[in-house]
Amino acid sequence: MVAADQASGLEALRDLRAARRRRYAEQVDWIETLYRMYLGVILGGWGLALISGALADVRVDRHTVEQIHRYGPATLGLVVAAAVAGGLRSGARGGPLVLEAADVQHVLLSPVDRGAALRGLAVRRLRTAAFVGTVVGLIVGNFAFRRLPGPTAEWLLFGGVFGATVAVSGLASAMIASGRGIHRVAVSVVCVLIVGWSLADLFGHRVTSPASMLGELALWPLDHAGDSFVLPAAGLVVAALAAGFGISGLAGTSLEAALRRAGLAAQLRFAVTTQDLRAVILLRRQLASETPRSRPWLRLAPAEDPQRAIWRRGWRSFLRWPLVRVARVCALGAVAGLALVAAWQGTTPLLLVASLALMVAAFDAVEPIGQEVDHPTRLVLLPVGSGELIRRSLVAPVVLMAGVSLIALVAAIAAGAPGPLIGVLVVTAVPTAVLSLCCAAVSVTNDPYAYALAPQIGYLQTGLPVALVIIGVGGPVLAARQAALHGTSALGVAVACEFVVLPICLGVIAWLRYRTAKRFPVGS
Amino acid sequence: MTRTKRKRTRPAASDPAVLVAHGLRREYDDLIALASLDLRVPPGELIALVGPNGAGKTTLLGIAAGLLDPSHGTIHICGDPAGSLPARAHTSYIPDTPVFYQDLSLGEHLEYIARLHGAPDWPDRASQLLEQLGLEQWRDKLPTQFSRGMRQKASIALGFIRPFSLLLADEPFDGLDPPSRGVLVEMLRTAAGSGAAVIVSTHRTEIADISSRCIALHDGEMVYDGPPDRSVIAGAA
Repeated sequence: MVAADQASGLEALRDLRAARRRRYAEQVDWIETLYRMYLGVILGGWGLALISGALADVRVDRHTVEQIHRYGPATLGLVVAAAVAGGLRSGARGGPLVLEAADVQHVLLSPVDRGAALRGLAVRRLRTAAFVGTVVGLIVGNFAFRRLPGPTAEWLLFGGVFGATVAVSGLASAMIASGRGIHRVAVSVVCVLIVGWSLADLFGHRVTSPASMLGELALWPLDHAGDSFVLPAAGLVVAALAAGFGISGLAGTSLEAALRRAGLAAQLRFAVTTQDLRAVILLRRQLASETPRSRPWLRLAPAEDPQRAIWRRGWRSFLRWPLVRVARVCALGAVAGLALVAAWQGTTPLLLVASLALMVAAFDAVEPIGQEVDHPTRLVLLPVGSGELIRRSLVAPVVLMAGVSLIALVAAIAAGAPGPLIGVLVVTAVPTAVLSLCCAAVSVTNDPYAYALAPQIGYLQTGLPVALVIIGVGGPVLAARQAALHGTSALGVAVACEFVVLPICLGVIAWLRYRTAKRFPVGS
Repeated sequence: MTRTKRKRTRPAASDPAVLVAHGLRREYDDLIALASLDLRVPPGELIALVGPNGAGKTTLLGIAAGLLDPSHGTIHICGDPAGSLPARAHTSYIPDTPVFYQDLSLGEHLEYIARLHGAPDWPDRASQLLEQLGLEQWRDKLPTQFSRGMRQKASIALGFIRPFSLLLADEPFDGLDPPSRGVLVEMLRTAAGSGAAVIVSTHRTEIADISSRCIALHDGEMVYDGPPDRSVIAGAA
């Protein structure tokens, strides 16, 4: 009764996929697509050139070049190690491939070699990751050659190669962990070892780990006369081997995880399409199996004063954060601090990194408010207006974000931030915490369908909070830096800037309160 | 969810059973969905798998199909570990929620799945199935646009289009009208009559009329394994 024929099964798979591609291609308006691509490339390239020219960053001095020589490869190696560790963690939870539920049900349950069935998808994912990595690497290279010595073409070339390699390494690690069914505990141990090796390289001023070797590859244009290309080439070989090893083990991918991811990814795509940021955050957490702790880090006694109930509710939420979220928020604070130091020293684009790191941390900190909005029925049945409730719910997250700002400050001091910058960071810590938190709160409480018929307003609704954080975080630091360069008081300029930032914060809070009360009117 | 390596112990080569499970256990964190189940299903047997919601029926069928990994124990289909390539060739699974590609018509689904499984006579078989299930006019339509009952019938057709030694049907009667339920009963009876082992998870008592054995689960434990009995099925449901 059973007729299993591997070759004919694979042939059927190829035929069907080819037919689906043809059908998809027939439905695509190629003129429109090419026009959009043309606009994207032209506008993106033009925007990048404009920003690069406008920033006009100064060239680094000899001392800084020596510092980069000493610490650069291991620091960039740490980025590679983080990408690999992230990939391994994702793989242990079933990533990185996202299949259609129908493919899991019909193809992976059929007597066709799963490795062969998944290979095409995996190669496409690697190709896309390499492309995105190359573009990011080219952008970074574009900024690097303006400040660092070395030929322009080499900075672009090696930036692109490094970006592609980081992306491929992360993805390949995920494929290895997923396909080989590596247990989460083992993955955690490997992650600690990989990151630890890079840290040891960083503090020991050596290049011994493959990640640091790739870091050396990225900095090859800096001053490579007389250097050997053996170590960077070894890093590339390790990344290529990892990709091959990842692809060869795809047959072991867990169907259970694939099915779970298929459902979540479909919802995630829809949430991204509708710009429903809250749904994106929740689904991303589900994909990463990031759930609240059943036992809190610390159990808070019930509040005797009813006025403190909302404050306690916020802290109860934070005290159930899983370790990975605690680590992520701390790391984001540290990244923000380090980026601000580098921006102060002349690499202005890193202000963007600092702002976005704080915004992402704020998306975690705003969780208690997100929970209130997720349960609108309960929200409107409370004996307090929904706008007022949300306003009072901001207090605990703002305190948490002030802690993140403090981490940024400590990281900046550890990275050797000059006195004026430390003063600026102290002055801006609280306003930065309030602004990033309030903007994150506005983003997660947006009604994604409010502007379904006017998508341009929807884009504005999504983009404005991010723009405000970039202006509110980057603006004072940039102005203070310029003041320091011209010999005036950086601190005084930063204080003056905060007189602009604080009214923006108050405006955002007022808007949040008004809009929430309007959206959930019963209890108001 | 942690994954546990399955032991590669095979049942005796002379064992003619289609499905053999030993100490099969599945946990979801603190929840035990299936508690140390031993099961042997010979060819030609039609088993009614009954039990209340959360009893472990879908988990058992998912493990047998190779979709879920057991936490402990072993399960073999025709002598090969469930989920392995030879076992997949023997096993047809009709899920409780029909799953379709969004861009393929019902006819294209049938062709694709039949070819994946190397079914040589699929065009005739497809026509026969569509006629049996009253889906002839729907052959060129997209199943994702079907009603609940039509989707269920399409899913049944996909389960029967390919050859199998073991048919696992999870709540296949859900959403079907009475005539369609009758057709499905007949199809299940024919499959078992032709030598396949059939396991049907259901709450419907009419399965007692055609099944040769009834297994009742409760909180992951097997609480009944014997001849079909309407009272057992009704009680379990």
